[in-house]
Amino acid sequence: MSSTTKSITEAEIEAEFSHHDPTIARINNGSFGSCPKSIISAQQQYQLQFLQQPDHFYFNTLKSSMLNSRKLIQSLVNAEKVDEISIVDNATTAAAVVLQHITWSFFSSQFQPGDAAVMLHYAYGSVKSSVHAYFTRAGGRVIEVHLPFPLCSNEEIVSEFDQALKRAKMNGGKIRLAVIDHITSMPSVVIPVKELVQMCRNDGVDVIFVDGAHAIGNVEIDVRDIGADFYTSNLHKWFFTPPSAAFLYCKRSDKGSNVHHPVVSVEYGNGLAIESAWIGTRDYSAQLVIPEVVEFVNRFEGGIEGIRKRNCDMVVEMAEMLVKAWGTELGTPIEMCSSMAMVGMPACLGISGNKDALNLRTHLRVTFKVEVPIYYRAPLEGEVNPITGYARISHQVYNTIEDYYRFRDAIIKLVNDDFTCAILSN
Amino acid sequence: MESANDDDHRANGSDDNRLPKKPKLSSSSFITDSEVIEEFGHHQPGIARINNGSFGSCPASIIAAQKRWQLRFLQQPDDFFYNNLQKRILHSRGIIKDVINAEHVEEVSLVDNATTAAAIVLQHIGWAFAEGRFQKGDAVVMLHCAFQAVKKSIEAYVTRAGGSVIVVHLPFPLSSEEEIVAEFRKALAKGKENGKKVRLAIIDHITSMPCVVIPVRDLVKICREEGVERVFVDAAHAIGNVHVDVREIGADFYVSNLHKWFFCPPSAAFLYCRKSPVSPDLHHPVVSHEYGNGLAIESAWIGTRDYSSQLVIPEVLEFINRFEGGIEGIRTRNHNAVIEMGQMLANAWGTALGCPPDMSPSMAMVGLPANLRILSDKDALNLRTRLRDHFGVEVPIHYQEIKELQDGGDAYVTGYARISHQVYNKVDDYIKLKDAILQLVRDGVTCKMLGSE
Repeated sequence: MSSTTKSITEAEIEAEFSHHDPTIARINNGSFGSCPKSIISAQQQYQLQFLQQPDHFYFNTLKSSMLNSRKLIQSLVNAEKVDEISIVDNATTAAAVVLQHITWSFFSSQFQPGDAAVMLHYAYGSVKSSVHAYFTRAGGRVIEVHLPFPLCSNEEIVSEFDQALKRAKMNGGKIRLAVIDHITSMPSVVIPVKELVQMCRNDGVDVIFVDGAHAIGNVEIDVRDIGADFYTSNLHKWFFTPPSAAFLYCKRSDKGSNVHHPVVSVEYGNGLAIESAWIGTRDYSAQLVIPEVVEFVNRFEGGIEGIRKRNCDMVVEMAEMLVKAWGTELGTPIEMCSSMAMVGMPACLGISGNKDALNLRTHLRVTFKVEVPIYYRAPLEGEVNPITGYARISHQVYNTIEDYYRFRDAIIKLVNDDFTCAILSN
Repeated sequence: MESANDDDHRANGSDDNRLPKKPKLSSSSFITDSEVIEEFGHHQPGIARINNGSFGSCPASIIAAQKRWQLRFLQQPDDFFYNNLQKRILHSRGIIKDVINAEHVEEVSLVDNATTAAAIVLQHIGWAFAEGRFQKGDAVVMLHCAFQAVKKSIEAYVTRAGGSVIVVHLPFPLSSEEEIVAEFRKALAKGKENGKKVRLAIIDHITSMPCVVIPVRDLVKICREEGVERVFVDAAHAIGNVHVDVREIGADFYVSNLHKWFFCPPSAAFLYCRKSPVSPDLHHPVVSHEYGNGLAIESAWIGTRDYSSQLVIPEVLEFINRFEGGIEGIRTRNHNAVIEMGQMLANAWGTALGCPPDMSPSMAMVGLPANLRILSDKDALNLRTRLRDHFGVEVPIHYQEIKELQDGGDAYVTGYARISHQVYNKVDDYIKLKDAILQLVRDGVTCKMLGSE
């Protein structure tokens, strides 16, 4: 155990993540996150406590532990009241909570068929499906905001969003819901959420939901400053929590009072936070270790802000190293990168569709032991030798420069070998 | 190149000294008593744990298997997601399909628990009301002693959407299945009296409190005869506790928790949905990109989370088959032991069982001495707490209201202990409960006194 006054050392970090497959250059923290050994250990303590005497755990431990976790998150995101913080499995679940709530507004005729929702075209696949399952099915229509990629500035995002709001309001249309990513998944971009939320407020959007799945531990979150009605983020992505845990923030208001967890238990009606803390017998341990996670994070210089900043600086440095080596470009300016960056891949690789991108990812995993997701970007008409593939590289505390060198060299080898994705399709 | 057998090879731990080893199967026939003790060695010593019914139990070798899967994910989550997860869940589903005699593996979904399954079925009903397939006032039937979470789910999805609820009152104590059948017929008739269409009946296979085995096959038949559109059997306690054959039972939906009596870690349950025209309209409420691919596929991916308790079902089956007679043998021995213990307790306390032995599964309702004056749910909970804190006995207490209770009616039994028997239990556990209750009676303790402490 390191002394409480000294920062965690390199050797300690290595030990904390020694369970990671040592043969893999793991530059995809964004997809599934990561969890240090000491947190896994803490989690197993909770799991054991339940198995030892589950009744005692249920009656005497679970609720108070859950409340501790929620209080810590409340202060991390600057929520006003702990009631506003619920813990759920993941952002996918949070989306279902918010969207099911909207469905009831259609059922009770508060919302009418044809009322609109605005969301980004780059919204996460599961969130899009959820909007379809709950909003479209209930009679709403969806306006997608198409953002260009590559991007040059926040202004491009603001302008597209503004146009989408106008489209939605045409002919007296009402905008009932806005779903805004804080950091889009693919391609990964930091969105100016505060500004977009304000635009939505100005246009009287009823419910504003920010999907910050990647946000906590990656960018700063101040839920009051952002001003949305609902905000969710996964704790297991960039906040070192075991799979899986996320928080859903619901701003105190009339809208917040009839929001329910879709898995209804005996706690139904006691408020979303209490409902979410008991959805039947299951393993809640991932949600109970938040205190230990905060301790872990504070072993690093500058705590979570320090981690964030260093990750962001490193991923940009590595991204620039890669584009220089490959003769390509970043997908966004540096300021729009988080602890992830979109790195253009050499056009000669011939990434011509989503299938190619997935095949290339598999090839990199299997042949080169590099784990990195690839994004396919359709070229615009008239583009000459366009970059159609971008790697979303992540940097987390366990990454080393060798991880990115290996990736760099793998791509260089593929290029030198005249490799194209067409080869993989056969 | 990755080999196709990589996952099994690594799951056996044979290539990694850090992974806990799988136990060797003893070359002689069955698991021994000392092996059973070892498997449940993590249970808190000093506690007479006679409440397997509430939260179940999980042997050490299954916990170890689960940890191996958890570690696999943590080691390389992308590889796990792309190459292992779906295959393993399908494998688990296939095993359950055989255990319960379902016809198609598509009919078997794995979810967290029966509470989740109820939300799935009832959300589907909610949509039917909202989209006009059902009319306001159409009814859902439930037992009055349905699990509280299910009752709330009915409130949240049926009542809120405009449906009405018909409640079937089960008498307790009970002396025969006929009493249940009669009450059920009565309630259905009443419901139809008002011209209501009964869209769904929710029937417990084994009620929770008080615990009774319901003749579900008969009730499902009655439902069909009386034009009840669909039947959902909430069999949370059933698998590993009573014989389960979903085709024989004939319900449209059937759920049972695997972590209660089937040795899975918390938590896992299967939801069986008989193939029908409405199957495509059953959805997991947590919508992912698998939406529309069928409930089983939707349930197998509801976002990043720990699916490991659903992946160890093959190992669980192996564990069960170390016992003589497999799951049937375990069930029979549990049932016989719990009845024997129940009768021992009833004799010692001068009370009786709440229902005939053949209506008790691996749990029994044992009347508590009237002297304790258990007169409310709060009393029952306080008694349970006292038993846990002062006597080291974990057992849930049921308060049974008696309408004709006279003032100072000392002769009436109003409280029952729901004792469970699972493979790890010992006679001493029940003796401990026997003595604790006798002590409370000797000391003239009543629940009112417990409440005021």
